[in-house]
Amino acid sequence: MMEKLRGILLGFTRSLKRHPHIQFMVFGALLSIVAFLPHIGIMNFSTMSIIAYIVIYTVVALGMNILLGFSGLISLGTAGFIGAGALGIGVFLGLGLPFELAALLTVIIAGGIGALIGLFSLKVDGIYLAIATLFVGEILRQIYTQVAIFGGEGINIGGVKFLGLIELNQIRQWNRSYLFIILVIVMVIMMMVMHNIIKSRTGRALMAMSRSDSAAQAMGVSILKYRLTAFILATVFATIGGILYGIYFQQAPTRAWTLNISLIIIAMVVVGGFKSIYGTFLGAFVIHGIPNLWLKELFDDVSYIFSGILIIVVILFYPNGFVYVWVDIKKAYYKYKLKYAQKKKVTADEE
Amino acid sequence: MDNLFRIIFNSLQTGSVYALAALGIVLIFRTSKTTNFAQGSIGTLNAYVAAILLSSWGWNIWLVAIISMITAFITGILIDTFIIRPAAKVSPISKQIITLGLIMVIVGIIPIIFGVDPLRLPRFIGSGAISVFGASLTYNTIFVVLLSLGLMGLIFWFIQFTKWGLAIRVTASNETTSKLMGVPTKTVTMMSWATAAMLGTLAALIVAPQASVNPNMLIDVQVSAFFAGVLGGFQTFLGPVLGAYIIAFSRNAAIFYISDIWGTVIVYMSILVFLYFKPFGLFGKKPVKKV
Repeated sequence: MMEKLRGILLGFTRSLKRHPHIQFMVFGALLSIVAFLPHIGIMNFSTMSIIAYIVIYTVVALGMNILLGFSGLISLGTAGFIGAGALGIGVFLGLGLPFELAALLTVIIAGGIGALIGLFSLKVDGIYLAIATLFVGEILRQIYTQVAIFGGEGINIGGVKFLGLIELNQIRQWNRSYLFIILVIVMVIMMMVMHNIIKSRTGRALMAMSRSDSAAQAMGVSILKYRLTAFILATVFATIGGILYGIYFQQAPTRAWTLNISLIIIAMVVVGGFKSIYGTFLGAFVIHGIPNLWLKELFDDVSYIFSGILIIVVILFYPNGFVYVWVDIKKAYYKYKLKYAQKKKVTADEE
Repeated sequence: MDNLFRIIFNSLQTGSVYALAALGIVLIFRTSKTTNFAQGSIGTLNAYVAAILLSSWGWNIWLVAIISMITAFITGILIDTFIIRPAAKVSPISKQIITLGLIMVIVGIIPIIFGVDPLRLPRFIGSGAISVFGASLTYNTIFVVLLSLGLMGLIFWFIQFTKWGLAIRVTASNETTSKLMGVPTKTVTMMSWATAAMLGTLAALIVAPQASVNPNMLIDVQVSAFFAGVLGGFQTFLGPVLGAYIIAFSRNAAIFYISDIWGTVIVYMSILVFLYFKPFGLFGKKPVKKV
């Protein structure tokens, strides 16, 4: 009986290793359990909101990872695009469009701006490009606060109707759980999309480009095509993150999308791990989750200082990302195992 | 006519603030190879020192300004020794994120040390103004602009004509080689952090009287200083300073003459277009790329 169970379990882990997509799905399923915890009294609804934030940030940071980790480019305008997603969905839903069409339009518009930045990046490099994207972010922020259609301070979205059938409203507790599950499903889909992109020809081309423009060009990689791809993907991921924000919190502020948010997104990639999908989630968890879930209760006002110190310390000790802590743990385990085996051998010899 | 002069005087003051911050950012960028996002926060922290001394002990503004400069110098050295130097081997992007961590630490520390009440700082010269073509020009503005220009002139002279200035320039051009040539690059980097912190603090002291002393008072200055750096070109020390004055003037003029809603957007857009044709700013040269 035990043998049989073990066999099933082994087969399961083996198939997990072989099929990363199933891995993502299992990860998503485990995360969606969170949606039910508040109803049986294990967790607060505010805690679920913090985890929803982590999920949203993960989607945005995945896009940033395509830029930073795979293409060697940087954007300081991410916050502007998250805002574009949240406010765009608010405006289009306000006009009475169905949710799916509204989301599609928002993504297309933001993707267009991303393509423009991509074209711009052909001319401008390094820190100049970073600050050019900061210009874009500031221009977007200026537009959000000044144009009347965004309602000055923000838009109240209210209940969102999915597929024209089910209306979910943040006010009702069960609806909030369903919204959370939708968020997790979208995140899992984005993880799969990301996995497919980076394991494909596009991903290899992006990586070649990040090492050396000239060498990549010599190998026949079109810099124009792949810079555009990288920036469009990053903006689309950020916009989808913004849309998720819009449907979960059901309001979209106009003034919140500052440079600090963009920096926090970059921090998630840097802290979590370049080129790692789970690392990105880990980064979002470390940067947004740990301070809000635990540090705030433990230290109250001091939590902000601790998250700053956390960022600095993680970067100093894990310059490639916190996800590599796993490698260190493995190494330590093998070392211990080896030592233990030797000790056993020595004692056996003595006997 | 008087409107034009009013805009010019106003822009001279804000331009000086941007220029001070931008010069600090460029100094650090050239010597430490990192974009210092915390430039504004460091200035704010030390402006708080000045404000708290002024409000609790009633010291003179000149005295507290000098004390805050000294604390800024110390802050710069501490940050370089304990955070930036251990991170020498970290990639440039990660280094930038370290300065983000620094912002969080500073923003977190401020309310604990200095309390949450907004503090006030007076102008260097309280009253008095002269009228030029119908626009009033306060003595404070004259003083602030002259002080910033004088200080920046001094720094340029220092960089261009002294032995230490030479050390800064060679460290900026290639740190490893200059280390091999016996240049004390560690001291150079430390001094640039200290100088940058002092420049940021001076910018904060100039900005503070316009509103209250609060943790976010230099955010706009910080962002504009980055823009100035890009407009002028990060490869030179002079470019960002000129860029700062250009940005301050064109923004004020566009807001006044074109539209107070779209003025900023128009200026930013035109700088982006300018960057497309001159990707390394007004004075920057295209760096030679080795393949």
